Amino acid sequence: MTSYFIFCTFIVLGSIIIGVLVATRSGKIAPKIRRIPALDSIEEAVGRATEMGRPVHYSPGYGDITTSTAPQTFASFDVLRYVVTLTARYNTQLIVTCKSPQSFPMIQELVKETYLSAGKPDMYREDTVRFISEAQFAWAAGVLGIFNREQVAANIMLGYFMAESLLFAEGGAQVGAIQVAGTGNLAQTAFFVAACDYTLIGEELYAGGAYLSNDPTKVGNLAGQDIVKLLTIAFIVLGTVLATADSNWLFELITK
Amino acid sequence: MWLERLQNIDRRVIYTVLLIVLLAPMIKPIGIPLTVNQTTHQVYNLIESLDPNTDIVMIGMDYSVAGAADVHPQAVAVAKHLANRGVKMVMAAFVPDGPMLAERILGILGDRVTYGEDIVNLGYLAGGESAVKKFIDDPANTFARDHRGNPISSLPIMNNIKTIHDFTLIIDFQTGSPGYQDFLRQLPSDGPLYAVGIVTVSVPNVMPYLHSGQFAGLLPGLRGGAEYEVLIGEPGEGAARMDAQSLGHLVIVTFIIVGNVAYFLSKQQEKSRKK
Amino acid sequence: MKRSVPLLIVFIVGSILLATYFFQNPTLDQARALLTNWGVIITAFAVGLASVNILRIHTARIANRRSGWFNSVALIITMFTFIIVGIYSRHNPQNTAAAELFSNLFDYAYSPFSATMYAMLAFYVASASYRAFRMRSFEATLLLAAAVLVMLGNAPIAEQIWTKFPVIGNWLLTVINTTGQRGIAIGVAIGGFATSLRILLGFDRGHLGYGE
Repeated sequence: MTSYFIFCTFIVLGSIIIGVLVATRSGKIAPKIRRIPALDSIEEAVGRATEMGRPVHYSPGYGDITTSTAPQTFASFDVLRYVVTLTARYNTQLIVTCKSPQSFPMIQELVKETYLSAGKPDMYREDTVRFISEAQFAWAAGVLGIFNREQVAANIMLGYFMAESLLFAEGGAQVGAIQVAGTGNLAQTAFFVAACDYTLIGEELYAGGAYLSNDPTKVGNLAGQDIVKLLTIAFIVLGTVLATADSNWLFELITK
Repeated sequence: MWLERLQNIDRRVIYTVLLIVLLAPMIKPIGIPLTVNQTTHQVYNLIESLDPNTDIVMIGMDYSVAGAADVHPQAVAVAKHLANRGVKMVMAAFVPDGPMLAERILGILGDRVTYGEDIVNLGYLAGGESAVKKFIDDPANTFARDHRGNPISSLPIMNNIKTIHDFTLIIDFQTGSPGYQDFLRQLPSDGPLYAVGIVTVSVPNVMPYLHSGQFAGLLPGLRGGAEYEVLIGEPGEGAARMDAQSLGHLVIVTFIIVGNVAYFLSKQQEKSRKK
Repeated sequence: MKRSVPLLIVFIVGSILLATYFFQNPTLDQARALLTNWGVIITAFAVGLASVNILRIHTARIANRRSGWFNSVALIITMFTFIIVGIYSRHNPQNTAAAELFSNLFDYAYSPFSATMYAMLAFYVASASYRAFRMRSFEATLLLAAAVLVMLGNAPIAEQIWTKFPVIGNWLLTVINTTGQRGIAIGVAIGGFATSLRILLGFDRGHLGYGE
């Protein structure tokens, strides 16, 4: 056993999240989500691209679906589905660029199916979802090329981003695109804040799916997440008090 | 009119000024004095405390060629220090560019080390965090051959490695993923000390890990490399580029100040016009 | 069936990998090693599939003579050059010329191109910060002041101007920044945990296609 404490924490916190999720799905509780301006602005961005007759660009970021970046990629898929629905509604061209070869077929399928369920299967073209390169800066160069050649009017970047964040954000600003971005990688959030019109900070990225779809599963998941966060805060306060009182009890417990 | 212009300086002007300011000190270095940060001292002291007869260091070559300008000088300086002290080094990579960059370091070390006895370049293992875990679980058998095609069993240095506990220190040079989070998640709590050399942009991100004691040391970007070169008394690439970085920062700050002064004055003008 | 089989695979594979994190067991370790290897093989196929997409998009560009079609020609030539030289030099280690060619492609083509893209960040940082950092509000002024002080704190030349710049920069980085980083990092980690759990247990099926 690696650590009893970590295992017990996993079981307890996991049970809380699933419990709240199930309660929300069954209608026993109905959590509310606060307004998130960055997510509200997505429709405005797609609308502007429609008015200008130029494409919308979507990037799910650097992350893939098998490492620790996967939750952010999956959170991005939820928003992507919403963006596809909007572009289908407004008949606006969408370009999705991918770095991860693993998530590429999933994104193709997601975009194709969403267009189909929106009654616009013809809007999905061979070059709607484009794999650029697995090499970080080759991918970045490819995306910047698309910004310039196709003059994108809206640039939506949600997922795990690394050094390319500023290249995309500033590249998008240079072609005059309205930009919405969000990442869980804090080092890159500063670049998004500086160069984009709207930014999701930290875990707001995970709220995207719940906020945009109002799906009880996702809303319940989000509510469970918040309860776990409250418990964590209580735990931190307890730890601080005990450490100040020179007690090692909690420290010893978490290292067991 | 000129206040408006100063608030909207064409980006090509900014780029040109920055390019000139970055190039000039590379052609003719100024030699701006550099003080050494405590975190860099920490890594230096750690390596100074190693015993060349018993201690072995694993060097994680987890940086890309793109970010090499920021991280490579650190890796070179640390490898030189270890080689000068006669401490053995095992280099392994979890990003594809790593082995080629390790070969560059081997070229710089030259006669200071004997390949296979003092140092080895194990090569690249695909799989991200899974690969890191695989190596931590079984460092002796994860790589069948080194990057140069030699069977691992033929390399004397690898005879001393059975488990991850045979390393006294892991120093991981990294630009992204896999990186410190993957190592911290997978390393056993009683495992070797773990220090990092990272790109400048990630420094704010890793401060919590440094404060909590999860890092035994931190080399921050190009500055970390330059500082380490100063400590070992072998100025190299890092020190040469610090002048350019330093002046680059000043140029950016100057543009920000110019933009703000113009913004402030134009607001004042507007106010007085309304009055 | 079309949906439950993939969900079952996700659950079983995810649970085994999760269990190996908590428990030391030779059977579990073997299963993990096998699954990790399968993962690498599947990724290799995914790269092949993605490469086909690149080829189809760019051959269509060339065939239709769309603007910038010559860039597509360059891309296809470069792609095949790297693939052929890479595979040949790997399987013929005795051929030093091929190994040298691959090494040269890495050192003199891939390396400088990647470094150039990375270097562009310096210019983009300059134009983005010039545009964004304006004292429009109290919060914006705080952001501006913090950015300038941290930048100056990291530049040795600023230390020659005023010795307190590194002290202030370091304080902002280690106290103010670390406090915020911890809070957001914990939130991101909990969000990641909740999302992973939802997918692992099959509550979220949207990523498998076929609509919600």
